[in-house]
Amino acid sequence: MLKSVVRAVGAAVRLSSAASSAARALPLSCPTLRSPGSATIRPFTRSLWMLKNNGASSGYRPKLLSSKVLNPSVSCGCGGLHTEGDKAFGEFLSDEIKEEKKIQKNKSLPKMSGGWELEMNGTEAKLTKQLSGEKITVTFNVNNSIPPNFEDEVEQGQQQKSPEDEPEIVSTPNFVIEVTKQGGKHSLVFDCHFPEDEMSHGEGEEESDIFAIREVSFQPEGDSDWKETSYTLNTDSLDWALYDHMMDFLADRGVDNTFADELTELSTAIEHKEYIKFLEDLQSFVNCK
Amino acid sequence: MGVVLRNLQKVVPLRRARLRRDVDTLRHILGIQKFDLGIICVDNRRIQQINNLYRKKNAPTDVLSFPFYEDLRPGKLPCPLHRDELNLGDIFLGVEFVMNQCQKESLDLHGTLTAVTAHGICHLLGYRHETEEEWAEMLQRERYILSEYNRLTGRHLEPLMKAFSPET
Repeated sequence: MLKSVVRAVGAAVRLSSAASSAARALPLSCPTLRSPGSATIRPFTRSLWMLKNNGASSGYRPKLLSSKVLNPSVSCGCGGLHTEGDKAFGEFLSDEIKEEKKIQKNKSLPKMSGGWELEMNGTEAKLTKQLSGEKITVTFNVNNSIPPNFEDEVEQGQQQKSPEDEPEIVSTPNFVIEVTKQGGKHSLVFDCHFPEDEMSHGEGEEESDIFAIREVSFQPEGDSDWKETSYTLNTDSLDWALYDHMMDFLADRGVDNTFADELTELSTAIEHKEYIKFLEDLQSFVNCK
Repeated sequence: MGVVLRNLQKVVPLRRARLRRDVDTLRHILGIQKFDLGIICVDNRRIQQINNLYRKKNAPTDVLSFPFYEDLRPGKLPCPLHRDELNLGDIFLGVEFVMNQCQKESLDLHGTLTAVTAHGICHLLGYRHETEEEWAEMLQRERYILSEYNRLTGRHLEPLMKAFSPET
């Protein structure tokens, strides 16, 4: 259930970014994509090619548009594609990885105070603790956890400021708190977030709570699927006294402003670690190692 | 709207529901329920910043008030023409400062915060304490508010103001 919840929380962001990625990925100059009914044209074009180019014996070797292909026997002997662009990409990644490791604050993840145990599953983190028979878990995913405004500020910063003046990247993931009483069949689930206007980015102070509850509902205990038919309380139009009681409820269980600050530190460290790992995997993939 | 309560600090374990309930009691006593009010709880670092910025006093304090209506006659409620003007302003509570004071004087934190908030609301309603006369007027008002509060809740809060000092 928690996985579904965390995925649901992150899905909206992923869907929107996926949509924009797809838009960016389509090459504008590709004629087949512009022309209507291109899908019917392609197979015909492919069959013409087959007639014209009778395999390797035709002596005709198709080339990519304008890339220079390194002789496979010089690159790595795998027979796979290795272009000049790949070589430059690999070298760029090597530098990038070195720089990222230099600025990495801690190789090991920061510890949360308050007796929380951490479990990692890729980019998803789960913090758990027991408190007088109650089980409290907090789950978050570092994917899409860096606010988009912040990324724009970093880019602008690179144009105007020196590297030392660049604002620090902070990960502020949505997180889901699940409170389960001993022997209970249902868990009380709080979907929380860091309000965007909360992050001061080092310029001036904001006046919102450090974290906020967005939705509350009861869900079946354990990893069963999210129950869509369970009433979900949205805090947008909630009585503020009720909201404060819920915040006090969470604070009594160790989810308070201190926890929220420590969670962003942990999430930032995890995100950076995963980013570096991704760059290393990408480098291995590009370099075919 | 009502009371917008924000907790920006992590030094003091704040009971939000209790603070809101007490503030609502004070609003009821003063007859200002229809007005919006902001209560922002901050630590010493932040209240010192604000104190320095707006009062040129580089030190933490217990409360700073920012009235929406700047020239109210003390105790005279504003008569707004538009809904947007149903606002008394914001009160910054230096909760860390208050907590330290409570520890020194063995006082209840949340009770003291309520007394401090009453003081802050008086400022939003035009009360000042820059002269001895103003101080006496404000003290009288605070005494009334807190005696009513004590009657309604069974608690024993005392006014924040002890002795006139032009420095505070």
